[in-house]
Amino acid sequence: MASIADDLPLVDSVEMGDAVALASLALARRFAKGATLWCIAPEWPEHARHVAVEFVHPVLVGKRALPAVSIDAAEPVVALRSLVRSGDVVLAVSDAKSVGTAAVMRRAEAWGAMSIWMGTGRRPAPRSADHMVWADDSPGTDGPALHDGRLVLLYHVLWELTHVCFEHPGLLVTDDAADRSDADVCITCSDEGRLGEVIVTDGRGTTRVRTAQGIETIDTTLVSPVSPGDLVLIHAGAAIAEVP
Amino acid sequence: MTETTGFLYPFIEADERDATALLRDLSESAQAKVAVSAALRRKTLARSVVPIEQAASDIADRFQQGGRLFVFGNGGSSTDAASLAALFIRPPWGRPLPARNLADDSAVLTALGNDVGFDLVFSRQLIAQSDPRDIAVALSTSGNSRNLLQAFTDASGRGMLTIGIAGYSGGEMAKSVHVRHCLVVEADSVHRIQETQAALGFALWQAVQACLTTVENRQ
Repeated sequence: MASIADDLPLVDSVEMGDAVALASLALARRFAKGATLWCIAPEWPEHARHVAVEFVHPVLVGKRALPAVSIDAAEPVVALRSLVRSGDVVLAVSDAKSVGTAAVMRRAEAWGAMSIWMGTGRRPAPRSADHMVWADDSPGTDGPALHDGRLVLLYHVLWELTHVCFEHPGLLVTDDAADRSDADVCITCSDEGRLGEVIVTDGRGTTRVRTAQGIETIDTTLVSPVSPGDLVLIHAGAAIAEVP
Repeated sequence: MTETTGFLYPFIEADERDATALLRDLSESAQAKVAVSAALRRKTLARSVVPIEQAASDIADRFQQGGRLFVFGNGGSSTDAASLAALFIRPPWGRPLPARNLADDSAVLTALGNDVGFDLVFSRQLIAQSDPRDIAVALSTSGNSRNLLQAFTDASGRGMLTIGIAGYSGGEMAKSVHVRHCLVVEADSVHRIQETQAALGFALWQAVQACLTTVENRQ
């Protein structure tokens, strides 16, 4: 039986509140522009389904149904690569150990998608996703967040706050350039570097890649031979580094 | 937005005055929901100690006899049923126990829904797959879902152990003679109810594990 402790401080509640507030506004802005929300939870697929059903079939009468889909797969990157359109949102529910989640989060920028990573347990490295909302297990509080409802609470609150944002239509309009996620930067010259995912290569250094701006042809002779699905950092029409 | 995270979101600054006020309200609202959820969880767990012990003891008896656990619900409760089944079959610690979520198979679900109606999608699966040693656990926030009540009627008729996890004041589930134990989250928000139902399910699972340990130590 979990311990009963009414007077414990709500550890990390402020950090969680700030993080979910930012994620909710960003998600509402994407929905306002026609985004679909793609939900994955490779290790806990029921949580991806729960997120999707919240948005598609709201429990509160009068709230609008929003396009959300759960992808049930141990390696969701394969399905999402084809399904995600530029401007969409990918949302994962998992811990830092999820290889399937990490593969999707790393590529989101190249797909033009905003990323939200919700979870409990070990945290991923900072900035592994555009938004990270975490339920930490703290000594002295109730059961593990994965099992005692606190993980479910995270995406319930995301849904509730996203609908609050729809009550502020003036704040849902942003200009596209400002809304773009932060670009990676070329470490040599500190100039812009954009993430691209290899679609196909001719083997001689001419490669088609997908970036947030669409499909581009780039030169990959500066990096070792690349294969479809690889990630590269693009600068001035050339791949300057492979991204692991 | 805090000073430490603000630099990550330059697009917020473009709309500074209004979005900042909204974000502060959203954050405070989120923190209030966390507090309400925690209070409901602790209150419900505290007043459910005895019903959980009784239900867990009966569940442990069924497992000892070779019984299996069938869990089911609709919508978000169906995903919470999947979480509960996963807890029994792939436990974080303790012994794995046989459990299934009845909404997992879309072929069976759509075949039954199409041919005999959605009120029977769980009941027909229990009739086909269960025996009197087995256990049926259903989750509903209202306690009134017709397909769950139908499944409980058929399950108890077959001699199965029946356990409901409901919200509000328990609905029909709390009154049904076909439900042996009913755990209720007394609240009126579907979201807060579901969060605490997860905690009840975890407490129930822990209590079942403890019962089985006690029985095994006696043997």
